[in-house]
Amino acid sequence: MALEDFAAEMDRCSQCSYCKWIPFDQMKSWRFAKNCPSIAYHNFNSYSARGRYAVGRSLTKGQSGYSDTVRDVVYTCLTCGSCDVSCKVCRYNLEPLEMVRELKFRLVEDGQKLDEHQALVDSLNKESNTMGSPRSERGKWADDLVLPRLSSEKVEVLFHAGCRFSYDKNLQETAKAAVSLLQKAGVNIGIMGEHEMCCGGRIYSMGYRDEFTRLAKANITTWAKAGVKTVVTSCSDGYHAFKRLYPKLGSQVNVFHTVEYLDRLIQEGKLKYRSEIPVTVTYHDPCHLGRQGEPYITWEGVEKKIKGQIIVYEPKKPRYNGAWGIYDPPRNVLRSIPGVELVEMERIREYSWCCGAGGGVREAYPEFSLWTASERIAEAMATGASALVTACPWCKSNFMDAIETLGDKMKVYDIVDLVQKAI
Amino acid sequence: MTLPKHVYKTLEDIVGSRNISDDPAVLDSYRYSLAHTAIHLGPFYDTFTPRGAAVLLPGSTEEVQAIVKLCNKHKIKFKASSTFWSAQGYPSEENTIQLDMRRMDRILEIDEKNMFAVIEPGVIGATLQAEAMKVGLNTHIPGSGCSCSILASATSYFGSGPSNLYGGCYYENLLGIEWVMPTGDIFKIGSLGSDCGWFCGEGPGPSMKGIARGLLGSKGAMGVFTKCAIKLFAWPGPKTLPVEGIIPAYRVALPENFRAYTVAFPSWKAWADAAHLIWDTGLGYLAHRQFNMFGRDLKFAMVKILTDPTKTLGDLVELLDDPEVQRITEDSMRDFQIVLVGMTPRDIAWQEKAFDEILARTGGWKVEAMNAPEIHDWVLLYLIRLGHKNLNLVFGGSYDGCFGLLGAVDYGTTHVEETAMFKKEWEKRGAVVQAGGDCTMGPIGGQGGGGTGLWENFTCFDPHDKESVVGTLEFFDAATILGLERGWGVGMEKWNSQNRGPDGKTTPKVERDRIHIGAPQPSVFRYQGKVREAFNPNDLGDAYYETLED
Repeated sequence: MALEDFAAEMDRCSQCSYCKWIPFDQMKSWRFAKNCPSIAYHNFNSYSARGRYAVGRSLTKGQSGYSDTVRDVVYTCLTCGSCDVSCKVCRYNLEPLEMVRELKFRLVEDGQKLDEHQALVDSLNKESNTMGSPRSERGKWADDLVLPRLSSEKVEVLFHAGCRFSYDKNLQETAKAAVSLLQKAGVNIGIMGEHEMCCGGRIYSMGYRDEFTRLAKANITTWAKAGVKTVVTSCSDGYHAFKRLYPKLGSQVNVFHTVEYLDRLIQEGKLKYRSEIPVTVTYHDPCHLGRQGEPYITWEGVEKKIKGQIIVYEPKKPRYNGAWGIYDPPRNVLRSIPGVELVEMERIREYSWCCGAGGGVREAYPEFSLWTASERIAEAMATGASALVTACPWCKSNFMDAIETLGDKMKVYDIVDLVQKAI
Repeated sequence: MTLPKHVYKTLEDIVGSRNISDDPAVLDSYRYSLAHTAIHLGPFYDTFTPRGAAVLLPGSTEEVQAIVKLCNKHKIKFKASSTFWSAQGYPSEENTIQLDMRRMDRILEIDEKNMFAVIEPGVIGATLQAEAMKVGLNTHIPGSGCSCSILASATSYFGSGPSNLYGGCYYENLLGIEWVMPTGDIFKIGSLGSDCGWFCGEGPGPSMKGIARGLLGSKGAMGVFTKCAIKLFAWPGPKTLPVEGIIPAYRVALPENFRAYTVAFPSWKAWADAAHLIWDTGLGYLAHRQFNMFGRDLKFAMVKILTDPTKTLGDLVELLDDPEVQRITEDSMRDFQIVLVGMTPRDIAWQEKAFDEILARTGGWKVEAMNAPEIHDWVLLYLIRLGHKNLNLVFGGSYDGCFGLLGAVDYGTTHVEETAMFKKEWEKRGAVVQAGGDCTMGPIGGQGGGGTGLWENFTCFDPHDKESVVGTLEFFDAATILGLERGWGVGMEKWNSQNRGPDGKTTPKVERDRIHIGAPQPSVFRYQGKVREAFNPNDLGDAYYETLED
């Protein structure tokens, strides 16, 4: 696709501003009614999906040109997809998230990049990770685990740790716990170790399509050579990349997030709890596991009109609107832990508020990223919970940073941490 | 136009550098496509409202006042808008400063005892309703839906909607107002003006509501309304709507004192008689002919799609071929929706009984398929929150109302079939959606307690398709000719053409004058002309405040 391919959508966006709010039916208060951090923080229309449609049109028609402001407008999109969900409450023929991604691709292609992203891009090109660390150290997190490395052994289930779990020492215990739980339940699982590469999801959301494609193809090839049939990851970014983006490039592996696997194993009685954790928690739906975690469905088709001017697609086009994301497995897991009480925030499931770490925003706009996380923490605190639980290392990391900056006392857990504690 | 640097700098000093922009791309996100109007503007292909000179995001009344005073000093036009639902919120002339009021979005007070809320411009229907429900109150939501600013609907536009019946429309509900007049002076209207609080729009204190609003609201052309108080009404339901279901088929099951019905009638006369009886009886919480906006032939199939998260518009043809869908579509040809809400068990029992009697007297019936639990609960949520109003644009991306039969309900029912059949013939040409001609919708009661009706016949088209847009415009021209021939006057399809020309800018004054002189009550516009002369001496608004010179 090219930005010009969205010309019809740019005209058909009705500028209604639904993209600025959670679905209205779900509003419970004034305080937590907004959905898009970008427009909520920056306020100008241009920072919403409807505004980005207008900016896209303006650029493609030559009515305006690139500027620092335009770069900010485009790159402050977290690609969290909340606009997409709200838009599609009523619209069946717009894809605002796809359009904004295409806008980012265009800026990158035109050399309108951000200096703040360059270090990450360089790290990916050189070391195949987003963390600026040596590739040779990627598998070190698992050195004290008895775990097959797929470069030398063959197993069908691959645990993909992802960049943050691999290199962030504050989070590595979670990855270890995930593997240990799966092994305990009898899953024959292995890792790629130093041969693991970034999933490419983050760089895709920053606008670097070519770099993503290179990484994805390399991963798909490596998996095929290793005989991998199933990939499990505890990283929601990776889950989204593998589940939704890779199939377009030919990947046929089964993809699971750890929470899906754990939910199944707990229900099958393969994991048993031994201790109680008396804590009230609230759960944050990661964007890439929740509303963007819907399964990919192959579609090739064309637009056509029925009844004169009703726009439909031939054949029928799959609809991604957050309806079928991964929402229940993490909640099932939390509710299964003895002593854990789950209380919900106001914005949950498909209309969850973003953590602020995505789309390259954390790297380029740290103040905005921190504000976005702090908004979620405020929402979590309003539930009375003492801990915020999530299922993504990027969310967890951003929340931890925000809590440290704010001086709050709320604890942040990955869901795996709690399961491990109870087992 | 680029603002002179010193003016821009002064504005920046007022609102802060984060809250002003003249970047062309940002300005282009404050332009409205005249090819999908979403409210009563002739469609002009590939034409947008003019680019503003700058966009400002004021954060307080003091900032608004300082901006307006500066505009007066330099004779710069300004246009305030809160939620930008239609073209009327955007500049209609070059060199205009756009004020985006979204930062002023606080609910300042909900006075539970006296049943009103004090709000700023950025407060939308959904957030006010959510907060009001917590204390057993509710707010009227305009027909444009809960995404729209309550203050803007009340001070600056018509403000009518499904809950007119019980909650009153916004002109009726408007209490104290804080108004930054076009000159920059702050004027406090109603009881607020005599320091008695917000509780009354007419006094004790200056009774200036009519002056400030004008006939249909001042539409951002007469200064800036920075705060207002709005009446609330009783909500005998839960503090938070217990919403269930998979997006977009959200639904709500409410207690037994809430009932949503779709009812239909054997004739239009019976339909109108039922409306009169509902008003006479004093029952009903809200009532609207809502889902007919999809069209007489498509409405039940669309309800089936919208209540099933696995379905899309791609299922429409198959559904339309379903004999059961066809039967229900035929059964509900002359329909409307009504929500009965009992304040007590006795109240709901009485309303049910009285409503059944109304149906018996008029020969009407409940459309049972719409009472299936998953559909009933979807309808109930839809009508109470009005959070799906963008379905107006679901088919091709654009719609506009045509004909606009405003008056006694019998007036609309007398002519609705003729307008429907006229439109149906045009639908066959392919420029607009073929929906059965009758896509007429509107509130059952245009004011508190009932009374008038407003019939808007939705016309849906594709703004990206030049043939569709041009064909729609031709249809609207034909609709106007028919309306004039029949004595209905110019329909909704032309209402805004009084203000905007095909280039998106203000229609020349001579053209506006011609239309206003031909209006049934031209003196209204002469009075408004006097008001503008007195209150807006530098003429810094736009032509949306409609005036006529002597």
